[in-house]
This record gives sequence, structure tokens and C-alpha cells, in this order.
Amino acid sequence: MMSNIIFLALSFFAIAGGVAMLVYRSPMYSALGLLISILSVAGLFALLNATFLFMVQLIVYAGAIMTLILFILMFLNIKDEHLPKEPKKFALIGLGAAIMVPFNIVILKAVSNLPDADMKIVESSFGDIKPIGKLLYNDWIISFELISILLLIALVGSIVLAKRKKVNKEDA
Amino acid sequence: MISLTSYAFVSMILFSIGVIGVIARRNIFVIYMSIELMLNGINLFLITFARYHFNMDPQIITVMVISIAAAEAAIFLSVIILLFRSKKSLDTDIFTTLTQGERS
Repeated sequence: MMSNIIFLALSFFAIAGGVAMLVYRSPMYSALGLLISILSVAGLFALLNATFLFMVQLIVYAGAIMTLILFILMFLNIKDEHLPKEPKKFALIGLGAAIMVPFNIVILKAVSNLPDADMKIVESSFGDIKPIGKLLYNDWIISFELISILLLIALVGSIVLAKRKKVNKEDA
Repeated sequence: MISLTSYAFVSMILFSIGVIGVIARRNIFVIYMSIELMLNGINLFLITFARYHFNMDPQIITVMVISIAAAEAAIFLSVIILLFRSKKSLDTDIFTTLTQGERS
């Protein structure tokens, strides 16, 4: 019974945060709406027995990525004249909703035809860090190594992008 | 009782909000955050099915998706800084011309 209430509250805050991100004009408010949404999704992960993913979501998304976004928003010193004028925003939101509703109905109909299962929180090591680590280093080792190469490329790429301007100035 | 469909509903709503944000908004920061919200919705879908089948492989895929999102964040935000420095705007319509002609 308790988990029903928690689920309803978390899903309400996840959707409300997303809607707030969508409608606010200032990117700072949008970032705060996204932060609320991400924290609520982390709570939903915890309800689904994914304790390790709950921590990863909190540390990587709410910790690292949101801090990066907020840091850059403050670093750029965005004023009101830098923001784009969006006169047709709500009409376009309505158009997008009209596009997405049939798609959602198809997916939800497919999912609701599946046999129902008990989604309660269970007492087991499912989703803990130890079984996930075993799985990650045995069955998924190639993807793991590829991800490490991808992160290295991203590191090199961001350094190159950040340095390019200085090089151009020296050439000119 | 919380069923599979209710989790799927929440994750599809989050994904749809992300798609609508990419379609409707012109602020490049909001477009980036919409992409993050789409990734979150897909992660929630994967975790829901991991619990449903009691199988941990989707959780590994979610770890991969989160690390790709972190790499994407680094690249995307440095590109945003470069574009903002050269154009002094966050409007995506200005970024359709990528020449550096009118730079101050």
C-alpha cells in the first residue's frame, strides 16, 4: 500500500518536472525541472529493485550532468536578449502531443497485453552491485571496453573543441 | 497494485515530453535537456522490464546508456559554449548557418 503512494508521488513529480522543463522560458528553470524529474526517476528505479542504478542515477545524472549544465548556464551569463523568441511555442507543443499520442497508445496496448506480474519490492540480491559487477565483467566485457574507449574519445574531443579557438587566434 | 502498464505509462510520457521538447522549443539548452529526458524515459522502460523478467541484463544496458549520456554531455556542452561565443544567442535557427562571417 505504501509503495503505491510512493509510486504515484514519484511519477507525478517526474511528469511535472518534465512539463516544467518544457514550458519555462528561462533555461535555469528548465534545468531545475529536469533535476526534479531525474530525482523522481531515481526513486522509481529504487522501487523497481535496481539499487545500484538508483545510486548511479543520483551520482552521474543528478550529480555530474546536472552540475555541468547548471555550471555552464551560469558561466555563459545568459541574458534575456540571448533567448530565442518563441511565439508559436504552445501551438507546436500541441502539435507534438498530437503526433506522440497515437504512438503511445500503440506501445501501451502492446505492453498491457503482456501477462501481469507482481512488481513488488523483493528481498534478494537482484540489482545489487555485486551481481551487476559479475555480469558486467563476464558477459558484457566487450561493451564495457568499448564504453571506456568512447569516454576517452569524448575527453579528447572536448579538449580539442575547447582549445580550437586559441589555435585560430595564433594563426591569424 | 502497481502494474507493468503504469511504469510503462510513466516512461512513455517522459519520452514523449522529450520528443515534444525537441520539436517545439528553439532554445538549444532546452533541446539538450529534452534529449536527456528521452534517455531517462528509455532507462525507466528498460529497468521496468528488468524487474518484470527478473533478469539483470537491461540494467547493464542502462549503465551503458548513462555512460553514453555522460560522454554526450561533455561534447554537447562544449559545442554549445563555442556556438554561444561566436553567435551570442541560444536560438537554434541562427545555428543553421555555420560560417563565421559576422563574428565580432
